[in-house]
Amino acid sequence: MTPSNDATSSFENLKLELRRGCLVLAVLAELRVERYGYTLRKALGEHGMAIDEGTLYPLLRRLETQGLLVSEWREEDKRNKRFYSLSREGRLILKQLLAEWQSLNTSINEIL
Amino acid sequence: MDLLDRYLHAVKFWLPKDQEQDITAELSEEIRSQLEEREAALGRPLHEAEVAAFLKQMGRPVVVANRYLPQQSLIGPALFPVYKLVLKIVGLFYLVPWTLILLGTMLTPGYRAAHHGQWLLSAALSFGYSVCFVVFVVTGIVTLVFAVLERAQARSPFLGKWDPAKLPPVRVRNRVPRLSSIIDLVANVVFCLWWLDPRSPSIPGISAIEFSMTPVWRVFFWGFLLVALAKIALDVANLRQPYWTRGKVFARLLANGSSSVLFCYLCRAQVFAGIHLAHVPPEKAPAIAQAANGWLGVLFPYAFAAGVAIAGLDLYRLYRVGERATPLAQRAVASR
Repeated sequence: MTPSNDATSSFENLKLELRRGCLVLAVLAELRVERYGYTLRKALGEHGMAIDEGTLYPLLRRLETQGLLVSEWREEDKRNKRFYSLSREGRLILKQLLAEWQSLNTSINEIL
Repeated sequence: MDLLDRYLHAVKFWLPKDQEQDITAELSEEIRSQLEEREAALGRPLHEAEVAAFLKQMGRPVVVANRYLPQQSLIGPALFPVYKLVLKIVGLFYLVPWTLILLGTMLTPGYRAAHHGQWLLSAALSFGYSVCFVVFVVTGIVTLVFAVLERAQARSPFLGKWDPAKLPPVRVRNRVPRLSSIIDLVANVVFCLWWLDPRSPSIPGISAIEFSMTPVWRVFFWGFLLVALAKIALDVANLRQPYWTRGKVFARLLANGSSSVLFCYLCRAQVFAGIHLAHVPPEKAPAIAQAANGWLGVLFPYAFAAGVAIAGLDLYRLYRVGERATPLAQRAVASR
């Protein structure tokens, strides 16, 4: 592996790490409106937070187990789909996470 | 969509029973939505090869299923460095000596005699099998112990309980502990005094046993004496300047190597001509000597293993002494 390949690989890994924390926030924020997996993924992609299904669905499941999301199976366009939305606890957590995000953003801007 | 059904079935196989329906239904919906989107973009149904390419991009079923499972590891990152260290210690202090003893046993005339013309093939096969088996069992036991510790650590995190005051002191590389030099010096001086006793070889405090030796004994007498004197000189040098240097480590390697070669030779050299015991008729002395020579012969594999291990440690020290000391170690030396 050449040094430039090393640098690219390091950048990709660090970018992935940076995005991982933001992803939860983005998913919670998008689910202020009820969506099913496919449309949620589309919405995230349109806002520049592209996520593959192998990451999104396990994450949704984890957030639901933690009580931050609620889901229900419903038929739409003659197909069964699972719709997700924020729970009451999820709304509270999202509010706190957004405050934390703003504070981090301010700190980073001050450092820069 | 036979291919998609087979794919979902394969994913389902790896999922927990209570979640498999739910997860595969959701995954099915996601995949179907994506395929429909592609078909709409192309304006035609997808060919089977295109569906196969899409599923390949989704990932192998076991990998996809694994993303839904909780993260599992036999030994977690907190215990893994300790696990690696224990494996190294077990390897160095158990497996290596064990292997050397096995090798030494196979070099004995008894083993050769028992396997006649095919002793080399038999020894190689037996050696390979035994080493693989022991490495497998020992590694398995250590892994099992750490897997149990990992479970215990998950339930009650014992690694969190520690006391900084109990951390070991900083080790200064290449320093020779003064106490070790004193003990070595005393042992070598006592050995020389005993060795130079006109009645030697004798057992201190027991005059009822007298040894008569074969002529080859003179080689061992002078050989062991010279080695002991060289070690005394080395101990004195270490007391004056308690640091290993390349020269001192090389001298130690030579002294230890010489004594190992001498001892291995002693095991096979039939040094006892007669052993005279009080109250035992003198005509039995050669037979007793013969038995003692036999017992010494049994020690050969162990002497060989110990000799190789000691030489290995000395060679390692020779390698280490050439490396530059770390800044931390240098600071520790300066502060003394």
